[in-house]
Amino acid sequence: MANIAIQRIKREFKEVVKSEEVAKCNIRVEPKNDNFTELRGEIQGPPETPYEGGMYILDIKIPETYPFNPPKVQFVTKIWHPNISSVTGAICLDILKDQWAAAMTLRTVLLSLQALLAAAEPDDPQDAVVAKQYKENLEMFNTTARHWANVYAGATKREVECDSKIQQLKNMGFEEHKARVALSTYNWNVERAMEHILT
Amino acid sequence: MSSEFKYDPEVNYDEATMAQQRQIEKEVATKQQLIGPQEDLSQLEMEFAEDAVYFQKTKCLQKKYSHMRRTRGDGNCFYRAFCFAYFETLLHNRTEYDRFKDIAARSKEMLLSLGFPQFTLEDFHDVFMEVLEKVGSQCALDDLLDTFNDQGHSDYLVVYLRLLVSGHLQKEDEFYSNFVEGGRSVQEFCSQEVEPMGKESDHIHISALTAATGVSIQVEYLDRGSDDSVIGHVFPEGTTPQIYLLYKPGHYDILYK
Repeated sequence: MANIAIQRIKREFKEVVKSEEVAKCNIRVEPKNDNFTELRGEIQGPPETPYEGGMYILDIKIPETYPFNPPKVQFVTKIWHPNISSVTGAICLDILKDQWAAAMTLRTVLLSLQALLAAAEPDDPQDAVVAKQYKENLEMFNTTARHWANVYAGATKREVECDSKIQQLKNMGFEEHKARVALSTYNWNVERAMEHILT
Repeated sequence: MSSEFKYDPEVNYDEATMAQQRQIEKEVATKQQLIGPQEDLSQLEMEFAEDAVYFQKTKCLQKKYSHMRRTRGDGNCFYRAFCFAYFETLLHNRTEYDRFKDIAARSKEMLLSLGFPQFTLEDFHDVFMEVLEKVGSQCALDDLLDTFNDQGHSDYLVVYLRLLVSGHLQKEDEFYSNFVEGGRSVQEFCSQEVEPMGKESDHIHISALTAATGVSIQVEYLDRGSDDSVIGHVFPEGTTPQIYLLYKPGHYDILYK
């Protein structure tokens, strides 16, 4: 059983390496151990999205029952997206759950995740806080997502106002990531974010 | 009631749900083989000794059938029961074997032309043909049983049949769109209800599989219908059945005359 999973992953690994997306540097995958049960994926933030220019690292675990059950995939790089937990990196995507089919591959998964970054589904959220912001204030969401992409995924576009508000809280002795989460959650309202951290 | 549910963002509820599902599957697996041994149909009667309606119907079923084979209730039972029961008949029917082998061999091209990924499709098709070759070499029945009870091999066969059903539904998209419920397209239906492992089968799946393979099956429906009889349905309608399945709500087993 486990043998099927390993054989299959080894073949898939070659398929991804040979694919044209790799040539364009949009997706990558490499094994983390010799038996191919843990892999490290990489996807590039799609153009014309807040994630543009960012590189996102994924943690991929291959279950013993692969390909009959889906791989377990999580974002390692922190991201602000309605369908991805800003806390754990857990992903809400149908093909990683009950709509996985054995004919799909790692390449399908990586390309679907890239598509998810380009088209969020706020009505089926993984992160309720992010989804709420997305639905109530799209512009604010885009700013926050761009800021996270800049800070955590290496995207070049800086959100100067966000940076300065975080600096403001840091100067008061608050930890940076905590400050970022609070400000992101409270639509970059410094007083409310502080109130939240202090309670 | 115990304390109110409180959402914890640190917990991955989807993974918890899936882990629970895997656990249930493991429990089912220890109780029932993927394809069980042939047993006397009177066994079924004992199972329903406490239930008047089912008991009567089982009696009635015994007038038409003598034996049965149980399959594991893992959501793939229709495909697995179909495949085993049909391959079992092919062991002794060269003409039918040759007809089906030709269809199976050509089905790969049909699926590729519908846009299924070559890489994985070939994998499943190769294993399907491998097992079919084994049937062609008139292997022992026990040998076939072993193959079907080896989870990996067995699931490869199920996947290929799922792809065949999906391919047929999509090819005859215009016709089948009338039977798809919930305002979904045939393609959506296929990716939600046909291609994923463990998704149960209904009339539409049976109809597509029999049409795609040219195999006729009769399904006996053992349910809480009003009278004592068991309703049998032949797919495709008007054909002579080659294999017989027993349907109990949510599950298919194999029947023998």
